[in-house]
Amino acid sequence: MHYGHALTFGTFLTPTATEPARVVSLATRSEELGFDLVSIQDHPYQPAHLDAWTLLTWLAGRTRRVTLAPNVLNLPLRDPAVLAGAASSLDRLSGGRLALALGAGAFWKAIGAMGGRTLSPGESVTALSEAIDIIRASWDVGDERPIRLNGEHYRVDGAARGPEPAHDVPLWLGAYKPRMLRLLGAKGDGWVVTHQLLRPGQLAEGNKLIDEAAVAAGRDPREIRRLLNVSGDFLGGPGEAWVDALLPLVVEDGVGTFILATDDTATLERFAGEVAPALREAVDRELPGTSLPPLRRAAVRARRREGIAYDDVPAALADAAIEPGDVGYAGVRSTYLRGGAPGLVLRPRTEEEVAEALAFARAHPRLPLSLRSGGHGISGRSTNDGGIVIDVSRLNSIEVVDPARRRVHIGPGARWADVAAALAPHGLALTSGDYGGVGVGGLATAGGLGFLAREHGLTIDHLRAVRMVLADGSVVRASDDENPELFWAVRGAGANFGVVTSFEFEADEVGDVGWARLVFDASDTAGLLHRWGATQEAAPRDVTSFLLVGPPRRGRPPVAHLMAMVDSADPETVLDRLRPFAEIGPLHDQSVVLTSYASVMANASPEAHNGHGEPVTRSAFAEHITPEFAADAERLLRSGAVYFFQIRAVGGAVADVPPDATAYAHRSANFSVTTFGVDRRRVDAEWDRLAGHLDGLYLSFETDPRPERLADAFPPATLRRLRELKATYDPGNVFRDNFNVTPERRSH
Amino acid sequence: MPDYGHDLLFGTFVTPSASPAHHAVDLAVAADRAGLDLVTFQDHPYQPRFHDTWTLMSYVASRTERIRLSGNVLSLPLRQPAVLARSAASLDLLSGGRVELGLGAGAFWDAIDAMGGRRLSPAQAVVALEEAIAIMRQIWAADQPGGVHVKGDYYAADGAKRGPAPAHDIGVWIGAYKPKMLALTGKTADGWLPSLPYLPGGPAVLGDLNERIDEAAASAGRSPSDIRRLLNINGRFGDTSTSLLNGPPDQWAEELAGLTLEHGITGFVLATDDEYTTELFAAEVAPATRELVAAERRG
Ligand SMILES: Cc1cc2nc3c(=O)[nH]c(=O)nc-3n(C[C@H](O)[C@H](O)[C@H](O)COP(=O)(O)OP(=O)(O)OC[C@H]3O[C@@H](n4cnc5c(N)ncnc54)[C@H](O)[C@@H]3O)c2cc1C
Repeated sequence: MHYGHALTFGTFLTPTATEPARVVSLATRSEELGFDLVSIQDHPYQPAHLDAWTLLTWLAGRTRRVTLAPNVLNLPLRDPAVLAGAASSLDRLSGGRLALALGAGAFWKAIGAMGGRTLSPGESVTALSEAIDIIRASWDVGDERPIRLNGEHYRVDGAARGPEPAHDVPLWLGAYKPRMLRLLGAKGDGWVVTHQLLRPGQLAEGNKLIDEAAVAAGRDPREIRRLLNVSGDFLGGPGEAWVDALLPLVVEDGVGTFILATDDTATLERFAGEVAPALREAVDRELPGTSLPPLRRAAVRARRREGIAYDDVPAALADAAIEPGDVGYAGVRSTYLRGGAPGLVLRPRTEEEVAEALAFARAHPRLPLSLRSGGHGISGRSTNDGGIVIDVSRLNSIEVVDPARRRVHIGPGARWADVAAALAPHGLALTSGDYGGVGVGGLATAGGLGFLAREHGLTIDHLRAVRMVLADGSVVRASDDENPELFWAVRGAGANFGVVTSFEFEADEVGDVGWARLVFDASDTAGLLHRWGATQEAAPRDVTSFLLVGPPRRGRPPVAHLMAMVDSADPETVLDRLRPFAEIGPLHDQSVVLTSYASVMANASPEAHNGHGEPVTRSAFAEHITPEFAADAERLLRSGAVYFFQIRAVGGAVADVPPDATAYAHRSANFSVTTFGVDRRRVDAEWDRLAGHLDGLYLSFETDPRPERLADAFPPATLRRLRELKATYDPGNVFRDNFNVTPERRSH
Repeated sequence: MPDYGHDLLFGTFVTPSASPAHHAVDLAVAADRAGLDLVTFQDHPYQPRFHDTWTLMSYVASRTERIRLSGNVLSLPLRQPAVLARSAASLDLLSGGRVELGLGAGAFWDAIDAMGGRRLSPAQAVVALEEAIAIMRQIWAADQPGGVHVKGDYYAADGAKRGPAPAHDIGVWIGAYKPKMLALTGKTADGWLPSLPYLPGGPAVLGDLNERIDEAAASAGRSPSDIRRLLNINGRFGDTSTSLLNGPPDQWAEELAGLTLEHGITGFVLATDDEYTTELFAAEVAPATRELVAAERRG
């Protein structure tokens, strides 16, 4: 009987309280010697021992690689709900290195003397079963309901779930008797037993009970690892004898992990040096090719979505892939602004893996496919329901390849805050958006309107080449010289043509900048808008400002926030540029600092995305803020349909580039206008009334699904050219999650 | 009121955020490097945004070298006292005597109850805390004969073994505001750890509260100086002085020295999650306060 588990080795150390340094050094030595696991016995009533949990946590701080486990943790003296949280903490702090091995309890008299509850063996198995449910529920942060589990021995009534562990912490159980073995088969992930305490044949009997219980619970027995504590004494004699003794336990009894109980360094060394490698070899000889990739628990597999060939995920991607039942799913299902429930998130690390992920996705043509870099898509719906997400956030390198020529290579998964921080030491910056959390992949394929736009243009204007994986899986480079048509399309409509895996930019020299925030009374909203627009148009290029006007608030006048960047390190220039802006309305508050572009961009939260629902936004460009437009904008704000209304200055360097030079064509506009609301129909109805003042749109800020918007995003000539190119590069329309340009139908 | 004459301790109160996982660890390491004496963490086991405080403290202890650690304060109702005593002794042994035990009787009873903890009235919780401290002290007194025997209303130990002995005398510090808790603090604790923002009348009430502790200490045959007075503080560094602990470091030093000399506070625990603030507190406030206090104590 074999369960396909790769063979691993651990140590089992005595936590002698009088010599704390000794057990710590045995643990670190275990790691150095290549053991996979360090385990510590737990007898909280034993004063000669260090507390196992405290010691394991200490060891987490002193090791880097080994898995840490109690062997086994005495449940009766630990509260399961608190233990679940403690286990998550230890797993997070250790970078996913905890295995939680539990025992139902023994030495009841000593437990009672500590003030613990004494249970009969039968009761203790029930209590353990309840505790497992509580622990698993606490870790299942994907379920947003509070935990309610009313057992005979433990009651949790309304506790919040979380924190989530860093990885799928295996729950191992110490079990000898049938009831425990059946519980293990139903709910455990590993069987921990001590060899000396077993009768001959007991492993096989135990396996049988476990396997039957597993199958009865709808599980695969291979989900359960079999771990055996073996003592150094048992392993007296030469190394070969040890191998001879252990081999049948693997081959016949399916043991996947041997845990060596010893406090003797020489024995550890001999085992690691002689026994472990020889045993591995012998097992490979006896059971060639039976080692399986880790199997997901039945409870995890039960949450899989229909129509996805989960078992066919390419090996290179399987490790990091996240499916709905997995730990970590809550952190990848949604994006910054959108709730989602994808069936599979593939997280390639390399260009080749991107191609593999894409091939896998192409084999599922009927499922939604989303592409994600930084997860800040507004138009780009980088999550979905039941489909596949290719998440390239791990392609996030930032490399200044040639400081003199200001050449920078950036992966799509990098965030703009990180880009700014990496370039700053070189005295460089790349014009980007205003928010440091946004990903390079989504922004640098669409445009890139930010605080350096008027002086330095759009992000795409600094793009010199891209590497990308096309719909057919081929990898190409596109630049002015190579695939120039594709390069044209990528700069404004990139999401329709492939997955960009690397961007080659030319950055600008940017020193400290002036950074101002002014707050105005916006009672006269229209007047303020108009005066700001005129001021901004009259200002030199080195100042770019955004005006955010709030809707009227109950009983209080609306306020407007102006944010402005002056690309100058000279305080006089900064103040000169800002002075006219301070006069556009009654000033509530102001702050001006000289700072780096990087510190302005360091404005994003590191938290995982947690969006809900669908964003409702509109976008457009305006040549000028005429009094008529300003008045209608005020009406929009008063309508109550929108909660966010922002106008950004563009123009300047953006307008230096001819409209047909890139797929982003709206070069002449001086302003980009964006709004957010809640109710799609109300927002659209109100916004559509502004149409006379507006022209075109910036696709990255638009979520109106009506087909006319495509014509707003791309003027006729641009759209025609894009559709022809789409027919060449993505005739099957694989890439359709963001302002989809359908391919030109060819008449052959 | 008196200055109880203890040396001064300066520390931080760091949010035990679970995400990013090492946020609190990094701040504790910064406090250690900056030369602070103490780093402390609140304990709310029912709060999923936070790490388990005992686990976090154990991990932080293994990643720091000199700094002492304490819960600020540990929520007793969700921690088994005998297990906690051995855990604390274990961490004290592992860390070379760097653990203190800040304890609270419990708050947020609905959340405790939802976790399966026992709901107690405030008065019951004070009694429970006293019983728990008795158990813990007996466990630590490994050189005493016999087992641990405490027959309390809420906690009992009946013949549990003593030990392990911690590496140093672990201080039991109590977060107390109300008369019963203050009395318990005077009767049995090694330290008092209230929070300045929770003191209804600000520092002015410290005199009254100290007096209650002192009286309870005296009636238990203890000296008031057996109880170190610590204080959690909030503040902000700035160029100009605006209010208490809102201003430049030398203003802080004067105000803190005032708290030491007038109210006997000798542990200042600053709530901050900011490395720069931590460093400024260690580099500028702590030495200046120490100097002012030393000068005054010399007379
Ligand atoms: C808070 C916030 C602030 C913003 N500020 C600005 C701003 O100041 N200026 C500005 O110009 N925009 C701004 N945006 C819009 C932003 O640029 C876009 O939403 C962009 O698509 C986000 O990129 P991402 O990689 O984070 O998003 P993701 O959600 O990962 O991707 C969005 C879409 O981009 C496409 N895409 C992603 N990666 C790739 C790739 N590697 N290859 C090809 N296509 C890809 C896909 O179609 C995907 O659906 C902002 C958005 C938010 C949410």
